[in-house]
Amino acid sequence: MGSVPRTLELFYDVLSPYSWLAFEVLCRYKNIWNVSLQLQPTLIGGIMRDSGNQPPAMLPRKAVYMRSDVRLLSQHLQVPIHFPKDFFSVILKKGSLTAMRFLTAVKMEHPEMLEKVSRELWMRVWSRAAEKAGMSIEQAQELLKRVSTPQVKNQLKETTEAACKYGAFGLPITVAHLHDETHMLFGSDRMELLAYLLGEKWMGPVPPAVNPRL
Amino acid sequence: MGSVPRTLELFYDVLSPYSWLAFEVLCRYKNIWNVSLQLQPTLIGGIMRDSGNQPPAMLPRKAVYMRSDVRLLSQHLQVPIHFPKDFFSVILKKGSLTAMRFLTAVKMEHPEMLEKVSRELWMRVWSRDEDITEPPSILAAAEKAGMSIEQAQELLKRVSTPQVKNQLKETTEAACKYGAFGLPITVAHLHDETHMLFGSDRMELLAYLLGEKWMGPVPPAVNPRL
Repeated sequence: MGSVPRTLELFYDVLSPYSWLAFEVLCRYKNIWNVSLQLQPTLIGGIMRDSGNQPPAMLPRKAVYMRSDVRLLSQHLQVPIHFPKDFFSVILKKGSLTAMRFLTAVKMEHPEMLEKVSRELWMRVWSRAAEKAGMSIEQAQELLKRVSTPQVKNQLKETTEAACKYGAFGLPITVAHLHDETHMLFGSDRMELLAYLLGEKWMGPVPPAVNPRL
Repeated sequence: MGSVPRTLELFYDVLSPYSWLAFEVLCRYKNIWNVSLQLQPTLIGGIMRDSGNQPPAMLPRKAVYMRSDVRLLSQHLQVPIHFPKDFFSVILKKGSLTAMRFLTAVKMEHPEMLEKVSRELWMRVWSRDEDITEPPSILAAAEKAGMSIEQAQELLKRVSTPQVKNQLKETTEAACKYGAFGLPITVAHLHDETHMLFGSDRMELLAYLLGEKWMGPVPPAVNPRL
């Protein structure tokens, strides 16, 4: 294709199962559509504070709905998500600050590893299986040291502010930079609309050119 | 097809633009998939009260987002939605009680007209920025849908009867029992399980659950022009 790839920015947090769904679909399509996928590690807690929103799980009926919604989407999108039993009591409370600073450091130092390490973290929180991301021990130790440096803290803050400037009230958001307009799309369920805006083909959440097994 | 059609219940309120989007997509697919579409006029205000939720538009960033989201979906799904000038007044002040009671009465007396009358009410409030709360407004929608003025006036009289009020209340309670915290909800009754799907953006997932083909929001067997 002769034309310039359109940039898609995916702002995500590993605390968010819908972020994982959006991530996997976009990772499949980045090799099919004429796009350049930029992964943006973001702090969902910061988005909530800045927008005045609250996690959907705080409303009882939404919490119930999320469990079955995520289960069905997990099957349909072929992403191995299992809602941890203690999600609300443990994971939501603990938050994702360290994980997202870690990913921010990965992006700054080893951007080619960002996709794999993000997936590894989602697997740890949201899946029964823990898998290796292929990062050496030394690299991991170095990165953990950097997590609390001002540079990494500031970068995560800036990325989160950028998402807020795009109008985010939650995550994931996909920002599509078309030739003449920019669109912010919220959630994991605007991918077919994204294809339409890009003038690309939608072949469902598991397109044929991809091996869905993670 | 030899097998029994699966029932899809669509709980909707004409105040909700996403309800209109879900409605149109399901109306297109009801003639393609092996399903039976049951339209359920529901009161979104009742859902909000019962679930402790609030309309998304109450959060400033969601209100901003809704405008562009609805505009893009309107194009993609080919449904002529245009935001009313005074959105907050229409949605939060004026509401839809009379309109949804009227549709309840239509469903009880002339169910074959329910789809058309629902569409005409959406066209008024969500396409042409016209009122749907006053009797002449409701009569105009009914007539545009093909009802005679006599039929429409008869149904309008029924709107304040206990039967119609109770029926709308029961339908709203049924949606709450399915777990609704907003509208639209689509309840899919499969052979061995029932699924409640929220929003207008679970239709491809619905196709997957039904074992049917998804051909996008404007499938070929249909003339998209409304």
